[in-house]
Amino acid sequence: MSLFNIDRPKVLIVDDSETNRDILSEILGDEYDIIEAVNGAEAIAVLQKESVNISLVLLDIVMPVMDGYEVLSVMNDKHWINDVPVIMISSDNSISSMRRAYELGITEFISRPFDALIVRHRAVNTIMLYAKQKKLVGMVTDQMYEKEKDSHMMINILSHIVEFRNGESGMHVLHVRQYTEVLLRQLVQITDMYDISESHISLIGKASALHDIGKISVPDHILNKPGRFTPEEFEIMKSHSMAGATMLREIKAYQNEPLVKVAYEICRWHHERYDGKGYPDGLKGEEIPISAQVVALADVYDALTSERIYKKAFPHEKAIEMIVNGECGMFNPLLIQCLEKSQEAIYKASHDDDIDEVMDRDAVARNIMQYAELSSSEEILRLLDFERMKNKFFSGLSKDIHFEYTISPPMVTIDPNNSGFLYEKAVIMNPLENEKLKSIISPEDVSGFLERLGETSKESPDMEYRCKTVLDCEPHNMQIYCRSVWNSSGELTGVIGKAVDLGYIQ
Amino acid sequence: MTLKECYNALGGDYNDVMSRLMMEKLVQKFVMKFLSDASYKNLISDMNEKKYDEAFREAHTLKGVSQNLSFTKLYLSSEAVTEALRAGDYDKAYSLLPQLEADYEQTVSVINEFSSGV
Repeated sequence: MSLFNIDRPKVLIVDDSETNRDILSEILGDEYDIIEAVNGAEAIAVLQKESVNISLVLLDIVMPVMDGYEVLSVMNDKHWINDVPVIMISSDNSISSMRRAYELGITEFISRPFDALIVRHRAVNTIMLYAKQKKLVGMVTDQMYEKEKDSHMMINILSHIVEFRNGESGMHVLHVRQYTEVLLRQLVQITDMYDISESHISLIGKASALHDIGKISVPDHILNKPGRFTPEEFEIMKSHSMAGATMLREIKAYQNEPLVKVAYEICRWHHERYDGKGYPDGLKGEEIPISAQVVALADVYDALTSERIYKKAFPHEKAIEMIVNGECGMFNPLLIQCLEKSQEAIYKASHDDDIDEVMDRDAVARNIMQYAELSSSEEILRLLDFERMKNKFFSGLSKDIHFEYTISPPMVTIDPNNSGFLYEKAVIMNPLENEKLKSIISPEDVSGFLERLGETSKESPDMEYRCKTVLDCEPHNMQIYCRSVWNSSGELTGVIGKAVDLGYIQ
Repeated sequence: MTLKECYNALGGDYNDVMSRLMMEKLVQKFVMKFLSDASYKNLISDMNEKKYDEAFREAHTLKGVSQNLSFTKLYLSSEAVTEALRAGDYDKAYSLLPQLEADYEQTVSVINEFSSGV
């Protein structure tokens, strides 16, 4: 009716009875945009397309093709249930079925025959509750970001004081922090030897800014000496790591703060060597805390790639080569592996002089995502949504069929914007038994295709298959491009792909 | 015939439906729409073809719709068939069909009469 209709919340009504859908639409239609689905499979197709744009699902239990419980399982598998609230409407109000529905994540259970006012109130409450939660997550993110930004700024200012005295640009602390975080993120990818969470990574990163504060106790003429140090001068220079640690130890108030504890480790041991030949304590291997090991490597890489009074900057490749060859000390082989694997990110960080980039909003969001109560996949869904929109636009320009196949439940979802020559409805359950599909692709080609699919792996997921198909009673060649999809435990969960009509066979 | 008289004639509960759905116009619309609800016909053909899973779903739907519209009489007989089918007692389900048929026919003929006067 009005322009404001665009922003009305969308409610998805899933019920096999038209009368029931109509009654619900009448009850809610004044305030919401209604989308109807006649069974579970259609509901999944709608959710796939709209995801977080759906504000509420009203779900029946007993339905043909796919029932309400199955819809809830799929919503759990795909994590939609975290962002899209479901109200179940059923006449089966036995304790066991209500329990089952609640365990599958529904927000409310309404018994038939329902009361119009109660349906309306529950719908409003549920939508508000979810909207408030989303808003709260946003507010928490903002606040944490502000708070983090301030404390971050203070640490940076303080640690720069040391560097300014050193006649350096002040970029060193920033870079060390970035490299430290990149290396740690890589480290947790390749091993679970160290118990490092995302918030731990940012803590170590933050503390890394303090690694050289002990230099404040090194006299100017030594700190800024252009030539080689005498053995005595070198001893004084080396004292900076212990001096920094001592300074932190003497701040009595914050001894139990995780930041101070980690900073202490880093200050004291960032010049230790993995082979035990470093200083001040000669710690060896894993005796050196991982925080100090990583900062040591980040520090060396930055020293090599920066210009100093006594040397020019080495290019990235050369610096990596020198570190890997052991010319600049002895490091944990796992960290060397991390350095090699994350070269691209490190190189990028080394050219990134924007202070705000260091402390980005993504990092805060990543941190927040860790808390189960706030494990909202919403941000991710929004991103996916955008990708989908982009995809829809580009694919709208072609005549290909875009499809997604999930093994459990066995179902092919055909992109309604890209059903190409199939003119098929959006969801096909049990595709291998579907008559229409059987009529256009021969059983030999189906088994040939499945065989090729069986040869894909998580490491090489892509495949192509050419086959004959019947379109409008004429033989055509068709090329299918596919990527197999695997879950984190290494099981094949489905396929995404597109089928391209190569044209009529003469 | 008023809507209230229609409800009385088909064995429904006018006060109940009005208290839940509130607007007479709305109830009237759905009552008339009930004529095009296919679940009863589907139930009968599923029963004839011994497709009991489908028959159960259709009976269940019919039960839900008549419950929502407070067609109490039809609700009770469709519920009986639904429960017999749910329990897998098909002989019992067949034996309950004549009662359901009588109630359905009564409901439909009353609604037809009602809608001719609207």
